[in-house]
Amino acid sequence: MKKIMNAPEAYVDDMLKGIYAAHPDMVKYAEDDLRCYCTARKKDGKVAIITGGGSGHLPLFLGYVGDGLIDGCGVGGVFQSPSPEQIYNIAKEVESGAGVLYLYGNYTGDIMTFDMATDLCDMDDIVCKSIVGADDVNSHKDPNTRRGVAGIYFMFKAAGAKADEGGDLDSVLAAAQLAKDNTRTVGFALTPCIIPEVGHPNFELGEDEMAMGMGIHGEPGIWNGPLKTSREIAEESLNTLLEDMPVAEGEEVSILINGLGATSLEELYILSNDVREILSAKGIGIYRTIVGEYATSMEMAGASISICKMNEELKGYMDHPVQTPFICQK
Amino acid sequence: MERITFEQVPELFGKIGGLFAEKKEELCEMDARLGDGDLGLTMSKGFGALPELLQAESDGAAGDIGKLLMKAGMKMSSLVPSTMGFLMSTGVMEGGKALKGKTQIGKDELAEYLVGFAAGVQKRGKCEAGQRTIYDAILPAANAAKEAAAGDGATLESVMDAAYEAAKAGCEATKDMVPVFGKAAVHAAQCVGVVDQGAVAGCYMIQGMHDYIC
Repeated sequence: MKKIMNAPEAYVDDMLKGIYAAHPDMVKYAEDDLRCYCTARKKDGKVAIITGGGSGHLPLFLGYVGDGLIDGCGVGGVFQSPSPEQIYNIAKEVESGAGVLYLYGNYTGDIMTFDMATDLCDMDDIVCKSIVGADDVNSHKDPNTRRGVAGIYFMFKAAGAKADEGGDLDSVLAAAQLAKDNTRTVGFALTPCIIPEVGHPNFELGEDEMAMGMGIHGEPGIWNGPLKTSREIAEESLNTLLEDMPVAEGEEVSILINGLGATSLEELYILSNDVREILSAKGIGIYRTIVGEYATSMEMAGASISICKMNEELKGYMDHPVQTPFICQK
Repeated sequence: MERITFEQVPELFGKIGGLFAEKKEELCEMDARLGDGDLGLTMSKGFGALPELLQAESDGAAGDIGKLLMKAGMKMSSLVPSTMGFLMSTGVMEGGKALKGKTQIGKDELAEYLVGFAAGVQKRGKCEAGQRTIYDAILPAANAAKEAAAGDGATLESVMDAAYEAAKAGCEATKDMVPVFGKAAVHAAQCVGVVDQGAVAGCYMIQGMHDYIC
């Protein structure tokens, strides 16, 4: 294991100290707990959006806390859930009278955490609603059982814009739901990653192999086999995506080409080019193209392709400006 | 004993924690076969810490046993952030909710606590009776306690006896249940004739209460 760190057990807290020190004007922590990550620019009367999940996925999850996106994030250990009490403490800090939306990935531990946090908030009469991202098409046939991966960015974007515009809790939830209903993701890995406190790779993959459908914690995918070309990967991925969520000729999508941590931006743009060409050949328009790291798995190599089918409402949310320590859209 | 006072609540959970400390290895071994192997640790750590958590919250709760249990249950969940830890701490919290405003635990309050605890496990685990989980030990105990408390001449001890007997029987019955959750569901064939380790943990929790009360 080669990582720049001081000690495996200090990995998450040292990372957090670095972020708070670099961006004191934008983020802070609640209850003297580094892992209760909150915006430092709370807006009165706005619906508070809180997410949370394991560390190891930056900029997911905490990187989306900021203007035009979300307000707080419970930070777990690497690939571990935060605690209910942490989410509750964040809710008390960022809630400002309009209620709280919990928006997070569809994982058992996180669901229990946020459900318990809802109960805790209930004791203080803080109204909470929940929605989970479940966009990873290859993780399960049943849409409600799918894991949440990079496509959750479209949900943050929609819900964040709606809340910023002054929408109430139900309409912010509806915006997140709209993005969820129209978003699908396919991901694939080329190399594993190493959890600092474990010290060895979380799975094995041959030198010339890739794993189609692998999850962002190394969950097994649908096939492991020889590495394909960018074009072939894009074709297979888009077939899977469009079979699950048909997009008609003349309709528009936004695409998110997301790197898993160790894949270069050059490669991501090669992949993005192939995705664009294939979609164009099908007569599908592209509203926005987003390329970069949005949901990683530390130093795992690989990428994911997300598509979000656009309508006028979602286009408005996509155009809404955002600014966080990790992402800026003017 | 006839009733449990506010001051005695930490002792009640101390007894449960002590029992789980004794059973730690046994539960871990059972769990290693059909779970992720940390059940004994989770239970002994969570319940072992509860007496101290209860003491720490006792000033704030000002004599209200319900409030005391809700606050301490929340703290417990932070110590044991795992499926079983969340199920148990939710049970304590929901049991506490059922005792809101109560200053002592008599026969009726004991039944209300167990019914609330079972409802909490059901809500958090999204499980039903017969799915080979802790719920299959806890729900029969709660139902038996409720029925016993409503009978003539019921006492705290007779209600606790009824709950304990029902928990043991419920635990035993999981031998014939088909698992729905977790690793057990993947290795269903290995579960036949073996009691569910979660139900065993639930039964030990009830036994710890029984040991204290009777």
